[in-house]
Amino acid sequence: MMQGGNRWMRALLPAAMVAFAACDATPPPAGMERGAELFETCVPCHGATGQGDADIAAPAIAGLPQWYVQEQLMGFQAGFRGKHADDLPGLRMRPMAVSLNRDGDIESVSEYVASLEATYPASTLHGNAGRGADSYVVCVTCHGEDGLGNPDLHAPPIVQMHDWYLLNQLRNFKSGARGAHPEDVWGGTMRVNTLVLDDQAMQDVIAYVQTLR
Amino acid sequence: MTPDLIQGSTYAADIDNLILGIGILVGVWFLAAEGIFFWLIWKFRAKPDQKSEYLTGKEKHVKRWITIPHALVLVCDVFIVVGAVNVWFNVKQRLPEPDSEIRVIGQQWAWTFQHPGADNELDTADDIFTVDELHVEVDKVYHFRLESRDVLHSFSVPVWRIKQDAIPGRSITGWFEPTVAGEFDVQCTEICGIGHGVMAARVSVEDANTHAQWISTASSATTP
Repeated sequence: MMQGGNRWMRALLPAAMVAFAACDATPPPAGMERGAELFETCVPCHGATGQGDADIAAPAIAGLPQWYVQEQLMGFQAGFRGKHADDLPGLRMRPMAVSLNRDGDIESVSEYVASLEATYPASTLHGNAGRGADSYVVCVTCHGEDGLGNPDLHAPPIVQMHDWYLLNQLRNFKSGARGAHPEDVWGGTMRVNTLVLDDQAMQDVIAYVQTLR
Repeated sequence: MTPDLIQGSTYAADIDNLILGIGILVGVWFLAAEGIFFWLIWKFRAKPDQKSEYLTGKEKHVKRWITIPHALVLVCDVFIVVGAVNVWFNVKQRLPEPDSEIRVIGQQWAWTFQHPGADNELDTADDIFTVDELHVEVDKVYHFRLESRDVLHSFSVPVWRIKQDAIPGRSITGWFEPTVAGEFDVQCTEICGIGHGVMAARVSVEDANTHAQWISTASSATTP
């Protein structure tokens, strides 16, 4: 009987060791591999290629610069973004950002997102690009004539974003759902520039941005 | 008492006592049944030169092993039902006169709380909206109106022993009276999507002065 028990022990020991190894929770070091692993959490909403999903108001994020994705994720964590009762998509995003709680998580997933090819989603709004060109004069200072942004001014590229997402964000900035937090300095800068825009002017300027592609 | 066992509302102890009572009654019967089961196995174990016997279970002296416990279990059921209905009525069906009212809104994956401002009236201009942060005053009766913006959620504050589903399209009214000041967890206890596990909030139960101060500060912060 004892010998039989030892045989079982010898047979099960390697399996147990493999099982323990599989349970090892040590994540890969910060970088693309860990970023790809973390991105699995983003896929249900933002899609496998970061193309976004309009049905659930998840914007295209593929190809956004690493510094911008990092800043926004940190903003979500700090409560600058996604912590306003009227910002429903932001409320969905915030807990996802909060779950990136290990050193290097934000940098890794941001690097991975930046490595994806930008998708330039089709237009869905019907603004007047001609009128929007006049309003865009204000935006040029930070976002540039080509709409590719300026990291020094914390202004992201906007040409590759969904138009409905840009409209939602302009509305959020104007209402104070975004950019109103006293510590969100760059959001505050953006907010000031949206206060003069009515809804039609927002759609017009977005229509112009889409012509910059 | 460990922090997890704080009884932080007027009815938390009633719920705990009901669960404890059910646990004791069920536990006694479980131990009795297992004890008799193993005693019978030992008593009627295989013995030399003894054949097994088929029992129909119709004889009175055999049947009473079923009928007597059955009757006793039914008596226990009466105690459980009376206790449970009593607690259910107090927690879910009775609505004591409120000192204040709040609105709790669940959405993927956050809780929005609408507090009355200085006028203590909900749905007025000075209401205070917060995300994942509820503020209430200790020893005051609150009515809550629970709503959902998208899917099923469940509003749960373990220290108050509250758990109430939030259903899209419905406004569900309930009540609580916090009795212990401090900061406690709020959680969602209905699977509501990929972010369900991190749909957490905090409730601050404050004394009258602290709460009035918070209302004053929060009102000035949200005034346009």
